[in-house]
Amino acid sequence: MKAKVGVYICECGPNISERVDIEKISEELLSSGEYDDVELVVKNYGLLCSGDGKTYLEEEITSNAFTHLVIAACSPRDHNTTFINVCKKTDLNPFLYKMVNIREHCAWIIPDKDKATEKAVQYIRGGIKRVLYQSELFEKQLDITPDVLILGGGIAGMEAALALAGEERTVFLVERSSELGGVSAGLNRLLPRQGGEVNKLSSYRGEVENNEHIKLYLDSEIKSVIGFLGNYEVTIGSGDEEEGVELVVGAVIVATGFKLPEINGLPGFDFSEKDEVHSSIEIERMMATDRKLAMRNGEEPKSVALVHCGGRSERGYCSQICCSYMMKIAGYIKDQSTEIEVVEYFRDLCLPYKEDQKFYDEIAARGVEFRRFGKLEVDGASVVSTGMDGAESKQEYDMVIVAPAMLPAEGTEALAGLLEIPLHETGFFEEEHQSTNAIGTTTDGIFIIGAAQGPRGISSSMLFAQASAGRISTQLIPGQKITPEVKVSEILEAYCTGCLTCLEVCSYGAIYFDDDRAISVVNEAVCRGCGNCFGSCPSGALRTKHFTNTQLMKEVAEAVRER
Amino acid sequence: MTEKEQEFSPNIVGFLCNWCTYAAADLAGSTKIEISPAFSVVRVMCSSRVDHNLVLSTFFDGADGILIAGCHPGDCHYGKGNYFTRRRYAQLKKVLETLGLEPERIQLAWISAAEGNRYAEVVNSFTEKIKELGPSPINNNQRL
Amino acid sequence: MSRDSVLIIGAGLAGMKAGLLLANAGKKVYLVEKLPLIGGMAIKDEESFPNFECSTCMVAPVQQDVLQNPHIETMTLSTVETVEGSVGEFKVNIKKGARYVSMTDCIGCGMCYEPCPVSINNEWEEDLGEMKAIYVPTAGSLPNVPTIDPQHCTRLNGSDECNACAEACMFGAIKLDDKDEELVIEVGAIVIATGSSTYDVSSLETLGYGSFPGVFSPLEFERLFASNGPTEGEMTIRDTESVPSKIAIVHCVGRKEVGYCSSVCCMYSLKFAHFLKHKIPDAVVTNIHSDICVHDKTYQKFYEGINGVDTEMRFCSSMADVCVSGNGSGLKVNYPDGKGKEQAVEVDMVILAAAIVPTEGTAALAGILGIELDGFGFIRSLSENIGSIETSREGIFVAGSAEGPKDIQTSVIQAEAAAGKVMALLSAMPEPVAAESETGE
Repeated sequence: MKAKVGVYICECGPNISERVDIEKISEELLSSGEYDDVELVVKNYGLLCSGDGKTYLEEEITSNAFTHLVIAACSPRDHNTTFINVCKKTDLNPFLYKMVNIREHCAWIIPDKDKATEKAVQYIRGGIKRVLYQSELFEKQLDITPDVLILGGGIAGMEAALALAGEERTVFLVERSSELGGVSAGLNRLLPRQGGEVNKLSSYRGEVENNEHIKLYLDSEIKSVIGFLGNYEVTIGSGDEEEGVELVVGAVIVATGFKLPEINGLPGFDFSEKDEVHSSIEIERMMATDRKLAMRNGEEPKSVALVHCGGRSERGYCSQICCSYMMKIAGYIKDQSTEIEVVEYFRDLCLPYKEDQKFYDEIAARGVEFRRFGKLEVDGASVVSTGMDGAESKQEYDMVIVAPAMLPAEGTEALAGLLEIPLHETGFFEEEHQSTNAIGTTTDGIFIIGAAQGPRGISSSMLFAQASAGRISTQLIPGQKITPEVKVSEILEAYCTGCLTCLEVCSYGAIYFDDDRAISVVNEAVCRGCGNCFGSCPSGALRTKHFTNTQLMKEVAEAVRER
Repeated sequence: MTEKEQEFSPNIVGFLCNWCTYAAADLAGSTKIEISPAFSVVRVMCSSRVDHNLVLSTFFDGADGILIAGCHPGDCHYGKGNYFTRRRYAQLKKVLETLGLEPERIQLAWISAAEGNRYAEVVNSFTEKIKELGPSPINNNQRL
Repeated sequence: MSRDSVLIIGAGLAGMKAGLLLANAGKKVYLVEKLPLIGGMAIKDEESFPNFECSTCMVAPVQQDVLQNPHIETMTLSTVETVEGSVGEFKVNIKKGARYVSMTDCIGCGMCYEPCPVSINNEWEEDLGEMKAIYVPTAGSLPNVPTIDPQHCTRLNGSDECNACAEACMFGAIKLDDKDEELVIEVGAIVIATGSSTYDVSSLETLGYGSFPGVFSPLEFERLFASNGPTEGEMTIRDTESVPSKIAIVHCVGRKEVGYCSSVCCMYSLKFAHFLKHKIPDAVVTNIHSDICVHDKTYQKFYEGINGVDTEMRFCSSMADVCVSGNGSGLKVNYPDGKGKEQAVEVDMVILAAAIVPTEGTAALAGILGIELDGFGFIRSLSENIGSIETSREGIFVAGSAEGPKDIQTSVIQAEAAAGKVMALLSAMPEPVAAESETGE
């Protein structure tokens, strides 16, 4: 069948019609004799993007039975979607249409009308040649399961589970330890801005355990995962057991939390077992169980130093919550006895929540001394600090409490390897985009929330959990299908040498290696169509659909043609 | 304008990434900044899509200069694509030298979607540079 | 049906992101924005921290997605007037301000600007540039349709019979008889994403804003640096148009007055130092600071990369005692150092890192919505629900800096969380019984 190409030039009012000679364009295209092997229809219209314009175009496509369509108008960023939608109303596959930008890239930037006309002809010729080499592509609809796997039963994991579980969505909650709760389970009190009481958190555990749509797997870990958004096959199991439970889920949420380091061993901290130097979490637990701050001999300390930023310099990040929880600990001590001397050694007060300044003012008003340091060392139960005035002081305390930097949880690296998601240089999981996709990863359908993503406290972790619920509940809707990107890469088996270069460069893990055939294969459900694999393939085995070299070279050929 | 420049009207191809530089080109257009007609835009989704083959074929087809332009490092819509573009560009310069083409005939630029003015500057100054270099030594009929 | 629709107030990143998620889930989204353009504060920044990423590149695809999404009805120049009903069946009255240019007929060619005889200050550009009475706030505005300022347009304010823009428009898109419209929508839930503002630095007399042309607010500086801004990215001092060589950036401006740390000022102040050194390599930049608040895993590295490289960080023991005064043709910043001893830096430009405060309209909006504010004037989220974005009224959520100062990351996280809350709320609601609400009273 002879191709029949419709070329529609939008006048865009005067924007195109006054700056290029549309009549001359039509003449040149029709009289060139270059398109003898195709049937060419060239027409112009006042404003194709208008309601009338779209109706006109739809009728033209249908009545002419075009095999291909070129629209010469404004930028595809403005109206490509508009014309794709017009094509979708007709029998013409939208991938057999090509938009040519003769406004922004021609009429508006070339003041000389003849030259602008010549340029427009060139671009349109490129469009015609290219469109003839374009192929039909079809959107695929994939079935999904709305169920979700959550790794980690801390506060973030539990919040996400409760937010997502329901009649039509089962949540599988996998916790490595033998109980739910994570680090927050051992806390004595919460911050004033969190309401102070821990009751709410304690009730969470029961809510999760009693929810019929949440299936709990304690003492368990993920063993393997394969798949993509909407269709992940995972195996979970405990210990080294060979057998595991196999599940199919639509998304995976990583909520594996953080760990706190031993403070003995942090640079600048030199003390022995006997010295009264404690980590902040030990004090929280002591307060939660004994309701009383006491030294190892059972006596109440008369003086306490609270040292912020333990190990911060070495880790290279601020842990975000230490300043506020250290003030909370100062409050415990003052509650116990106003007689106890409390000094907080801080470097910079980090109070990023609007309510924290007031808390600080209250704690300071209760006689807690805040002492800023430039440098600090803990020597036994003495604190040696250098203030901002450069003066060094050494003071001995009955007790020293240190806020250590939050570290990535044990096993984070291995889990990242298993899930094939990257780690940030701080060792936490790395988000796809710091600002606009902080819970997404480079793999669609794998989310990182809570302190697994970076140091954060309870409120922020719960918020991240709710955000993951927002993403999943709007993406994986029970009973609905998803439509992956169509303009993806593909690998031609005959040319692939199995060098694995494309696997290395793909940011999305969209390419896997087929051992049986010894070639790389693109997972079309995951590929986002950037074409980086194409750029890297040394053997020409890759093809980027709708942006093939053949297609692009047709545009190039017109651009470099002798004039 | 010298006589030589008047005679020589180069053909320059720009492979622009969809997200940043193509948007900058649109912005330059909508603010109606004059840009040399010697320059032709070819849209690609990501600058990392531009492979050696496409660049060399474009030269062998008769281009006098090629601009590859995308998002600033760190801003890639696809995460890290433009870092790969940078490496390929470094290789391409060497390849051009080997083929006896001036390496200045290819240029890489990072132009963000907000930089309409800069887009025009980069394109126009690159066009001037190619005019100074003169026609590509590749015979138009000699194909890969 | 109201349970399938959502109202989002504010089309910044938080509002747009929440809207897109809900629209992609098939909800009908009404996105109400008071300005003529969408995009919010993020598009005022040329580059955002911590990656110096081009903000336009980051936001423009989101703006495009919003405008092209068939489930989102974007209403610019619009405000919420009244809200009746309750969760699942809110009845919202919206005033759609007259644009005087048809959104359907205008193609954004910009032919109408030049013939307009009226030049006015461009408020969106922090009054650093001018625009015509028919305008888009900035090049690249979306939607790319101009607006006529009815106060300044000589035709609309009744001064004369000027018809210049209408004559220049080849599309008949100018509608000089356009009127404000009132419309009523029914929605199941509401998300507030109206953002925040910056502290009025002119209220702090000792810092010299308004007295000295070399003293700038943070948003003014963002626009000075922006290549699509009023100076096309030339960082010049107003009036003299000279390029500064010595610059002081004063942190924590207004912190004492507002009573909280704004959590983003350290980061944007460091970003400014980098901008300055990038464009003026010989510039001497000094940051006068107190506590450094760099709380994301990526932020400290950002700080370390700028401290000592782009700027000298000088510790000030009492930010409230910083004073900016004239010094011949230049400026002098006095501050107490770590020992409490007075120090002075001589500069020709001062940037005041102002606190983040609620927008002017927050209290009025809260009144209309019947929700509570916190002690600072931000929208109050329920503290008894930890990490919450629920307001004091069921079915109304808050996302972004309308709830308190925050970076883009947390704003977007809250937007995603709001989408989750709305989905959960609406899918749990029973099908409304017809005519139930009409029988009341």
